Amino acid sequence: MENRFGFKDLVLAALVVLLIVVVCLGMYMIDRQQKILQTMQQDARVRTGLLRDMRNSLHEGIAFRDPAGSDSPTTQKTYPHGDPFGNLKAAERQPGFARGDWIIDNFGTKLAKVNYPIAGDLYAYWVESRILEGLIYRDPETLEYRPQLARDWQVSEDGMTYTFQLRKGVRFSDGSPFTADDVLFSYQLIMNPKINAPRLRAYLQKVKSVEKKGDDEVVFTMTTPYYESLDLCGTLSIVSKQFYSKFSDEEINTNPGLLMGTGPYRLPDPKSWRPGQRMEMVRNDLYWGEQPTFDRCIFLEVEDETAEETMFGNGEMDVYATPPAQYQRLLKDPNTSKHANHYEVESPMNGYAFVAWNEKRQGKGTLFTDARVRRAMTMLTDRNRICHDVFLDYAKPISGPFASSSPQADPNIKPLPYDVAAAKKLLGEAGFKDRDGSGVLKDASGKPFSFRLTYATGNATMERVILFMKDSYARAGVTMELDPVDWPNLQKKIDERDFDAITLAWGGALESDLYQEFDSSQIADQGDDFMSYANPKLDAAVETARKTVDVPKRMALWHEAHRILAEDQPYTFLFSRMSLRFMDKRIQNVKPSKVGLNYVYLYSMPNPWYVPLAMQKYKRP
Amino acid sequence: MFNYLIRRLLLMLPTLIGVTAVVFFVMALSPGGIGASLLSTEGALRPEERKAMEAYYKARYGLDRPLPVQYAHWLNHVSPIGLKTAGEGFPSSWKVGFKYPDLGESYSSHRPVSQMIGEAVPITILLELLSLPLIYIIAIWTGIRSARSRGKVLDVGMGFVLLAMFSMPEIWIGMLFIGFLTNHMSYVHWFPSNGLHDVQSDSMLFLPSWSGGFQRGWLLDMAWHLCLPVICLSYGSFAFLSRLQRGALLEALNQDFVRTARAKGLSERVVIYRHAFRNSLMPLITVAARILPALISGAIVIETIFGVPGMGKLAIDSVFSRDRELLMGITLIASLLQLIGYLIGDVAYAVADPRVSYVD
Repeated sequence: MENRFGFKDLVLAALVVLLIVVVCLGMYMIDRQQKILQTMQQDARVRTGLLRDMRNSLHEGIAFRDPAGSDSPTTQKTYPHGDPFGNLKAAERQPGFARGDWIIDNFGTKLAKVNYPIAGDLYAYWVESRILEGLIYRDPETLEYRPQLARDWQVSEDGMTYTFQLRKGVRFSDGSPFTADDVLFSYQLIMNPKINAPRLRAYLQKVKSVEKKGDDEVVFTMTTPYYESLDLCGTLSIVSKQFYSKFSDEEINTNPGLLMGTGPYRLPDPKSWRPGQRMEMVRNDLYWGEQPTFDRCIFLEVEDETAEETMFGNGEMDVYATPPAQYQRLLKDPNTSKHANHYEVESPMNGYAFVAWNEKRQGKGTLFTDARVRRAMTMLTDRNRICHDVFLDYAKPISGPFASSSPQADPNIKPLPYDVAAAKKLLGEAGFKDRDGSGVLKDASGKPFSFRLTYATGNATMERVILFMKDSYARAGVTMELDPVDWPNLQKKIDERDFDAITLAWGGALESDLYQEFDSSQIADQGDDFMSYANPKLDAAVETARKTVDVPKRMALWHEAHRILAEDQPYTFLFSRMSLRFMDKRIQNVKPSKVGLNYVYLYSMPNPWYVPLAMQKYKRP
Repeated sequence: MFNYLIRRLLLMLPTLIGVTAVVFFVMALSPGGIGASLLSTEGALRPEERKAMEAYYKARYGLDRPLPVQYAHWLNHVSPIGLKTAGEGFPSSWKVGFKYPDLGESYSSHRPVSQMIGEAVPITILLELLSLPLIYIIAIWTGIRSARSRGKVLDVGMGFVLLAMFSMPEIWIGMLFIGFLTNHMSYVHWFPSNGLHDVQSDSMLFLPSWSGGFQRGWLLDMAWHLCLPVICLSYGSFAFLSRLQRGALLEALNQDFVRTARAKGLSERVVIYRHAFRNSLMPLITVAARILPALISGAIVIETIFGVPGMGKLAIDSVFSRDRELLMGITLIASLLQLIGYLIGDVAYAVADPRVSYVD
């Protein structure tokens, strides 16, 4: 019998496979080199264009201008609203300041797209805030508005018209010049119904029109006076009309990596990033302002917690946001303090967690329609203990929907104390007493005080908090049952108002608008007043505040709203968490500010952090 | 044989339709629907924003039609033969004919499903193509050694070690690897902890170079990053296969022809490797077809832990975000690959064992 398949044949087959593999690898290598060449060609093209422009201007002749009053992009003297790079220039004066090195941050999740205006999530915004700019931004230390792409701006008396004078000499990162046409285009792009940006579009509904007066002035007209109008108009991200006009609506909707702007960083290729590739931003050499400090900003997508901690420990990541228990453990770890600094910051952006008590279910009143019952529930929740035990004092109880450091909060209002006796008294007034000595509070007809708390699964910390609450309530005679659901179902329950009580968290803002959550007009139509809270006094305060452009008057109205909410307790405002961060020791000039650290991904703001030359790790630009 | 192949290929169709129908209706009938999950991935919305988004998605994906109609629509898009608009496919002017299958557009990222799968599948396949030969070589070698020294210390010891490896879950082992083998500060840093490429990888040359100190180069860097995921993916399987090989070889060694070969005076090595071994391969070939899907599902965990952007992670994400189009696309591709795997396994049967024939 012949051997049909021997060892020799196996070796031969293996060699053939090896050959195919080598050929494929070779193809891949050539493909890679090709890509690098293409990027270089693109760069060269942009620079040739610039050189050509410069030569043309030189041919036309040079006029000497007074540098103090000139049109150069970074002249200081003509800034009525302050120097846009004040913080960065202060950092430059520090000894040891140097530009260079990379900063490596972590998303903690996979990034699906960075295409502005399609991408809606927080992480895409982190990237966009470095690449795109608006007309103004807000300084993190003083909270004042500073000029960015606008030199100056005027607000009309009635708060309906906003005029911006644009900066001259600004270019997008592909070399094309920035003009008023680009501002108009940025607005029209979002308002185009074919572009998949319904959220931004709804946000900009308050703008009636955007017009240009000449090449360097734009006027925004609002539909009604609104206190956030300056923010709304001024922080609209500006994109290039020339660049985006090359793509059809479909392409803009589907390309995940289409992003190009005037900002201090740019994508290496403004249209070819794909999810799965590491998000890297490189320095924009054509930036109109002060060059940023880092050569590259890199975002990793490490989801696993162990891997994240290990990578930070190895020095492969520079910024690490930790939960409280891990933070404490790493504080005690000698290895960590050798290479990292730690920061604990409060920020109004962190928002707050709350329990919402449903006041109307299927047209009928509920246990929580009576405000006394709601106040009692707040007094039965030992928030101080929760913050101490679960969050290790890295969270604080709050008295209302505003951060305690925010000017909107009335500083005289304190959170309700944990007082079981007072709570039981209030519940007694509302008709719930321990009538038969069983320890369970019952109403006049003998029905026990019992409700279900709905919450989202997946958050182990919140589950601890909820179990603790269950225990505290049980000791006072209130029975709480748990109703964990996953996100889509939670959304459904909220829409249908199908819950007794629900615990959630809202993100924060520098000046939060209470209209969505507490105004009675938001009860119907699946609005965000999902607990059907209605108080005409609150409606009046909030609606007037929204229209008030004058700041002190508005703050007084917010204080009034704060008082009403503290009295009515439609939510039990649980706590507001601090941001806990470790950062590599080599990064200098990291300081706390009113919004967290002195650089946050809130507006497109200059980053005053730097690494001294001797400590720089990544030498390549 | 040819008839058999055609029959098998045609039989794939009802299976695929059945699988996709089950997945479709289970997802569609699950509470929450599309709107909720999509909206929640983009953060808290105001009511008018939410309404606008829901209306937009309904118009774009036709979510308000009855479910069987939606399923029929999807089937039509996906099949190469079906109803089409005039002007596309072949013949161009007819309403029915051949056309290019279209897997649709993902709800959560609004990109064509085929593009997303096309980016993820090569990485998963790379992991598996590297794991499969590793599994087989180690399994066959240890199985044969165990069978040869049956009952002795080597056999018992190997059996114990392999059983231990089989019992350890991948999640735990993955975490242990990251914690101990990639940890510069506390333990050893022999392997990288995450991802497929180093941070500085795009400036690296392709091949390793020794100028100015040893530089890994892109190729070796990728291989180094792939080490731990491949080891984690394969260790469970070769424990199982090794025992299978041992059992099959022992059974083959009890056959008459082995006694004849020994009686003829052939050396033990020739008897085992040239005669008994080939006959013991049948169970392994059967299992080969089933290992591939097991690797895909195992890869889900490994991909999450090691941050490898492959198909398993894509599938899990699409389930959690109720992304029906993407999940249907992945189901279709994965089922197709599995069925083809089974078919290849059966054909390999016929090739390896002349007693097996599919001619009737």
